Amino acid sequence: MTAESGPVAARRPLLTLRNVLFALAFAALVAFPLLWPGDQYRQTVLILIFVLGVMATGWNVIAGFTGYVSLGQSAFLGLGAYTVGLLAHRVHVSPFLLAPLGGVVAAAMAVLLGATIMRNRGHAYVIITIAFLFLMQAIGLNAPGFTGGSNGVTLPLPPWPLAVGNMPFYYSLLALMVLSTLMTWWIRRTKFGMGLVAIREDEDKAASIGVRASVYKVLATVASGVLIGVAGGIYAYFLTFIDPRGMFDILVSVQIVLATLLGGLGTIWGPVLGAFLVVPMNEITNGVVAAQGVHLFVFGLVLMAVVMFLPQGLIPTVRGWLDKRREGHGAVAFERRQSAPRAVELTVAPGAEATRRWARGREAGAPLLKVDGLVKRFGGITAVDGCSFSVQQGSLTGLIGPNGSGKTTVFNLISGMMRADRGEISFDGERIDKLQPWDRAYLGLGRTFQSTRLFPRLTVMENVVAPLKRFDWRLLPADAVSGREARRALELLDFVGLADFGPQPAWQLSFGQKKLVELAQLLMLEPRLILLDEPAGGINPGLIERIADTIRALNKQGLTFVIVEHNMPMVLELCDAMLVMAGGRVIAEGTPDAIQSNPLVLDAYLGEDWSTETEMEGARS
Amino acid sequence: MTLLVQTILLGLLIGGVYALFASGLTLVFGVMGIVNVAHPAFLVLAGLFTYELWSRLGIDPLLLTLITTPVMFALGWLVYKGLVARVRSSSASMSVVLTFGLAIALEGAMGMTWKNVFRSVTPVYFNQSFHVGALVLPKAQVFGCAASAVVLLLLYLLLKRTWIGRAIRSASENPEGAHLVGIDIGTVSAFTFAIGIATAGVGGSIMSILYPIFPASQYVWISRTLGIIVLGGMGSLPGAVLGALILGVAETLTATYISTQWSVVVFYLVILVVLLVKPEGLMGARMRRDVVA
Repeated sequence: MTAESGPVAARRPLLTLRNVLFALAFAALVAFPLLWPGDQYRQTVLILIFVLGVMATGWNVIAGFTGYVSLGQSAFLGLGAYTVGLLAHRVHVSPFLLAPLGGVVAAAMAVLLGATIMRNRGHAYVIITIAFLFLMQAIGLNAPGFTGGSNGVTLPLPPWPLAVGNMPFYYSLLALMVLSTLMTWWIRRTKFGMGLVAIREDEDKAASIGVRASVYKVLATVASGVLIGVAGGIYAYFLTFIDPRGMFDILVSVQIVLATLLGGLGTIWGPVLGAFLVVPMNEITNGVVAAQGVHLFVFGLVLMAVVMFLPQGLIPTVRGWLDKRREGHGAVAFERRQSAPRAVELTVAPGAEATRRWARGREAGAPLLKVDGLVKRFGGITAVDGCSFSVQQGSLTGLIGPNGSGKTTVFNLISGMMRADRGEISFDGERIDKLQPWDRAYLGLGRTFQSTRLFPRLTVMENVVAPLKRFDWRLLPADAVSGREARRALELLDFVGLADFGPQPAWQLSFGQKKLVELAQLLMLEPRLILLDEPAGGINPGLIERIADTIRALNKQGLTFVIVEHNMPMVLELCDAMLVMAGGRVIAEGTPDAIQSNPLVLDAYLGEDWSTETEMEGARS
Repeated sequence: MTLLVQTILLGLLIGGVYALFASGLTLVFGVMGIVNVAHPAFLVLAGLFTYELWSRLGIDPLLLTLITTPVMFALGWLVYKGLVARVRSSSASMSVVLTFGLAIALEGAMGMTWKNVFRSVTPVYFNQSFHVGALVLPKAQVFGCAASAVVLLLLYLLLKRTWIGRAIRSASENPEGAHLVGIDIGTVSAFTFAIGIATAGVGGSIMSILYPIFPASQYVWISRTLGIIVLGGMGSLPGAVLGALILGVAETLTATYISTQWSVVVFYLVILVVLLVKPEGLMGARMRRDVVA
């Protein structure tokens, strides 16, 4: 079901049928112009395929891996083409020396475009990219002094003999397409690529485990645009004439989208396959049926049909069929792997960095987490209203309160998913309320989610190795799953009793299993404080005791917990300190015993005249 | 000074019409979170449809809205049931891709039917003006703005004063909750989408008098309407009106004092700047997007 060729897939032998077919196809493409040098038409069609292939593989990085759909991708082609077109008359060097400059310009504009997604999600990005493309076109049209305006730019003839024809364009664009495909393949294997996929699957969650989303998104935009810029430079020479309408054409962007969706969004070869299908389709509808509008009509229908009926694209769909056939009748292959929980002793051996921080925390003697006067409003509703409390190092602090009392919002404020309207949050004596979620994760703050948020299409193993303890540029190109991390991840999975589930996609797990994997994932961060949002909510009662044991074991090794939980017997037994929230603020704190007999607490939960523990238990939702 | 007042007044009149063009787009986004990029294609379609009726029957284009509006409503209903409802579960970005496919297919179909030539509906008043002192107000522009205001008022009343309006608003604020109290989300969504496209019926008629239309003119309207709803705050109807008025004035000011060529650039820049600096726009609801969903 996973559409990805994930990095933990077992290494395949080099000589497979698939690789042989690839090699043959590549050899055929290399040989074609040599064998039929006179067939200019087919060479041109192939050149168009290569250009679209470069653009679609690039788009795949931002849309397929990162989940940000752009309809302005063709702007990079135009930027590259115009860079070379405007330079060609001034600087007389080989086109292949100028073309990389097109890549540089495209990359620079990609940085600007990427910066716009730092604060935006999904649909906003689509709109931004449309506006970006139209803006480029308008500048091209309206600044004739600089760009030649609507008359466009004519390029000098290439400096090689006429007999050579288009071969240099053909081979350089073929090489670029292969390079672009190799780049996406490589990106998908790296920590950078896995961060992108994590952003696509769940951006808030990714940020909470240390994926510095802003940098990733800018880099992804650059990676998606740079080779298109180079291709644009070569393409301009091939066309010998460029104009703003042709070079900044939104229909080209739509062809990019169609090619990638058709082949398979997020796959390595899908965009190239798509290019080989879309360009011939264009040739047929443009050439054979030349009536006005037919081409657009067919094109639009095909795009809609792909979105509706083939959302996964050809490669994943075909792969799905093949897998099903191989497995017989789609039996659940993972059933037999389920193992009984094991009591594994685990040392949460913190890294040097964490040890240093822990020591520092202890010397200070201050509370590990301090929340002071937090306020958070949503429109007219004040969800958190002057909330203050502190959490001692090494404690197991329970945070309880009726539904709607603001517990989860407080978690969101502490972990940085939301910004408070007022108030301060300190972690280990350091103000963190202005920090980004990933910076808080780097300090050793981890959280789980009420409904569990693993990255569904990544494997369990990939989920567990995804967290990053710090941001380091040198880490980005590292292998997504390296030996040492994989071993640690296995240790952690073993600790929660799910060691055999590593290769399984996360969406296949049960709710309780997801909670355990999410805990293992957080431990990878080597956190000092974990915010647990309803660890026992919605899971089978047999598992509750195991989760409680796990928490206790980790706490014994020095890990501090804050636990939001409605299961009163569990939380009262487990925790050594309690905080009670109602109406957005802490109304009582103390030991579990003191809390149980506090009339304020009983009021908050049950109205008046309730006093027994059993009824408090009945109050959970 | 007269030029400035004249420019601003004309800008407000243009903005009033833009508000109608953008209203269906923002309504559909507000209720179902779909950026219907095909909305301008429906405007152009309604415009060409008006042209066809006007050239055959000779009835005033603004009166023809009585025919075009129900037709566009029905078309909207069909498009929702046949296309949009099928991809509701996928991401917002994919719905943009789908509606873009629809926009292109519509453009192609219009090109096949009406050819790629500019067409304009020219009732007697199309080149007449009201003269108020030194000011010149084109009649078509004034009528268009008035018709737009009437439709927007009706839309507002529909949303605020009727049962279906309450259902639409509740479905937009909390779909699960609305479902729980017995609102059929599928029907409400289809109705909203159809209403959104129906506004393009009147909008297209007005457009056919004020602007030359041809199939590919949808692109400039994509930029304009998106700019308006982004500035006003996506999903907000009053925001769309405010955004349209501001951008109408900005456009005429640019056209008068800089050049007509650059006037549409205002919209691109507004989209980029607003989404960069204040993504929720002027009147966008700061919705509670719970991280726990």
